[in-house]
Amino acid sequence: MNVDFDPSLEAFREEVCAFLDTAPTDAIREAGRKTTSVFAPFEATMEWHRLLYARGWAAPAWPVEYGGTGWSLEQRYIFSEEHWKRDLPPLLPNGLIMVGPLLMELGTPEQKRQHLPGILSGKDYWTQGYSEPSAGSDLAALSCSALADGDDYIINGQKTWTTLAHKANKMFMLVRTNRDGKKQQGITFLLLDRTDYPGMHIRPIIGLDGVAEQCEVFFDNVRVPQAGRVGAENEGWSVAKALLKHERGGAAHSPAIRRKLDAIRAAARDATASFGGPLSEDPVFQRDLGELEAEVASFEHVEKLVLSGHALADDPAMPSLNKVMSSELSQLLSIMMTRVAGIDALPLQLEALEVGSGVQPLGDPFSLVAMPYYLNTRAASIYAGSNEVQRDLISRNLQTVRA
Amino acid sequence: MNFEFSDEQVMLRDSLSRMLDQRYAFESRRRIMAGQAETGIWSELVDMGIVAMPLPEACGGLGGSASDIVAISELFGRHLVIEPLLPSVILTGRALARFDPAGPVPRWIADIGTGALRGAFAHEEGSGTGASSTLSTKLYEGEAGPRIRGSKKLVLGGGEAGVLLISALSETKAVCLAAVPADAEGIEVRRYRALDGRPVADILFHDVAVDRAAIMAGADAALEALLADARLALAAEAVGAMAVLMATTADFAGTREQFGRPIGSFQAIAHRLADMKIAYVKARASLLYIAALADSGRATSRDISVLKAQVGRLGREIAQGAVQIHGGIGMTDELPVGHYLKHILTIDGLFGNTDYHLREIGRVVASA
Repeated sequence: MNVDFDPSLEAFREEVCAFLDTAPTDAIREAGRKTTSVFAPFEATMEWHRLLYARGWAAPAWPVEYGGTGWSLEQRYIFSEEHWKRDLPPLLPNGLIMVGPLLMELGTPEQKRQHLPGILSGKDYWTQGYSEPSAGSDLAALSCSALADGDDYIINGQKTWTTLAHKANKMFMLVRTNRDGKKQQGITFLLLDRTDYPGMHIRPIIGLDGVAEQCEVFFDNVRVPQAGRVGAENEGWSVAKALLKHERGGAAHSPAIRRKLDAIRAAARDATASFGGPLSEDPVFQRDLGELEAEVASFEHVEKLVLSGHALADDPAMPSLNKVMSSELSQLLSIMMTRVAGIDALPLQLEALEVGSGVQPLGDPFSLVAMPYYLNTRAASIYAGSNEVQRDLISRNLQTVRA
Repeated sequence: MNFEFSDEQVMLRDSLSRMLDQRYAFESRRRIMAGQAETGIWSELVDMGIVAMPLPEACGGLGGSASDIVAISELFGRHLVIEPLLPSVILTGRALARFDPAGPVPRWIADIGTGALRGAFAHEEGSGTGASSTLSTKLYEGEAGPRIRGSKKLVLGGGEAGVLLISALSETKAVCLAAVPADAEGIEVRRYRALDGRPVADILFHDVAVDRAAIMAGADAALEALLADARLALAAEAVGAMAVLMATTADFAGTREQFGRPIGSFQAIAHRLADMKIAYVKARASLLYIAALADSGRATSRDISVLKAQVGRLGREIAQGAVQIHGGIGMTDELPVGHYLKHILTIDGLFGNTDYHLREIGRVVASA
């Protein structure tokens, strides 16, 4: 057994640190400090994306042939660790982690040529059109339709929870192309090379945290080229499953989670306990912090075992296990953040949260983000397959524990 | 990074598993516990080299590492083995190997390694934490040499031991370890069994004379290492027990029918099983990771506390879930489920329970 990264990676870590210490602009750093969601503040994060692209590091998980770094899992973990330690905004996932790798796997040469460079460089931003008002966890029940017409499809219907659709210039989506047979059959995966087609209407949705992160998108006889279809018509469900594999696989969540816990520990030293004295010396707080630390540590251990190629990585339920663990741990951390912030979590400070607003927050920066993060993170157990659906999947793979 | 057992460890685990499957199946274990069967297991463990394994090579052992101890202890947990490998060898034998090799100590270590002598670690005094700050047993200078006075509780294997390793405070309040023959004058032993069937004892030391050569003064580091070994081995046992509960409960839920279908098909049961699996994956990952850390000599007391706390709370979650999902039959003594629950609860109580370790972790990380 051996817990260490390959020692030769220390030089790599130094190289990463040197860049991360110097390259980000003030706006990028501010965006990182004001990140209260998986989706970091858009403009500054895309600026960071372009700076990383210029350095050749926009796509740690992509192979070199597509302009990625070709880094090993260990290198990606190190990069993620150092990135989070500096409170930098994580790059937006839809292009780099979802549709990009999907196109590498299933896209036509023309689709790859057309779309991958813009994803990599940060010129384009893709939104995901999956959920519908009547198709959430039961995604295959989707009904937004596409009718073939010459070289085009004509789309009618509605998508919802299309994250950042109002900022995106591209969209990947699932549409219904056939209503006969099982509902999983008759679904088609489409790429839209614009989000401003005639008949397409995007409406932002204000979330619990007061921010318009989600959108709904209406389609009224929207004509799009069939050339944007990935895979065969009516075979979109298997394409979506392939994408899901990319969305749920690979990236480690523990560096982000560890960073949150570090912020909580630091804030607790400055906070006052209900019965006086520093919160960090309060026995009840210490016990709860200990439990959180133990849970964070175990999650790190799980991710490092998977990273190392331990047999645990082959558990078919691992993506679901990781999703439940990471999302619920994020929620526990968010609760602890609001506890530590105390009444300083109560002022509603939407302007102070905006990057570049120049509005000074009431209280400290930790308290500014505690409640918005808590509210936004309620979604973690809902999105990307609700945790109830994940538990269904986990319960179908129990035989992997053998006595 | 590599968290797999080595080829040698896998081979040893395979042969130990085969032996325990044959000789220590649940029904055999019941007869052994009831005194209706001779175990013979201890001499098998000696023959397999497992008893000598944890001791340093210089003392005739096989130089077992932390992960070696984990590899074996996990299987002990799967089979609910109560043979005294932990108190005699992992604790007493390994600690004695840190003493100056003088007086009776080398002989004791050699005999522990051959299985001829059993040792026990007399440490617990009632706080349940294992922390040296709670010690009150005294090692003092008597007229004819050093003596020990104090009382110890829940000493694992204390009634069967030929040599006792005792933690105590010197007259200057320094932490010391001392070893005495169990038949020395002034030792009073009260034997009983712990919740999970392990033989334990309360031991009173009425001004017991100690051979000066069998004392380690300034034993803080040695005691810390001893406690780390104890917690790591017990955590491995707990994870082994959790694997059995997980597997048997999943099987049971797949075959037991109510309302005309397997109970595992009900979402309330399925999701509880999913939570048990999540708990198991976390506990086992922490066990293997911290074993690897310990192999490199870098497991801190915080790491060990994380492991002990996690197997305590996650083990309880799995064991209580297992009883619930088994329903009425899970409440009976004839099914293994309850025995695994009691094994896990006993482990939680030894050398600091969940609450103690969580508070300890929080205290350390809050101020770090």
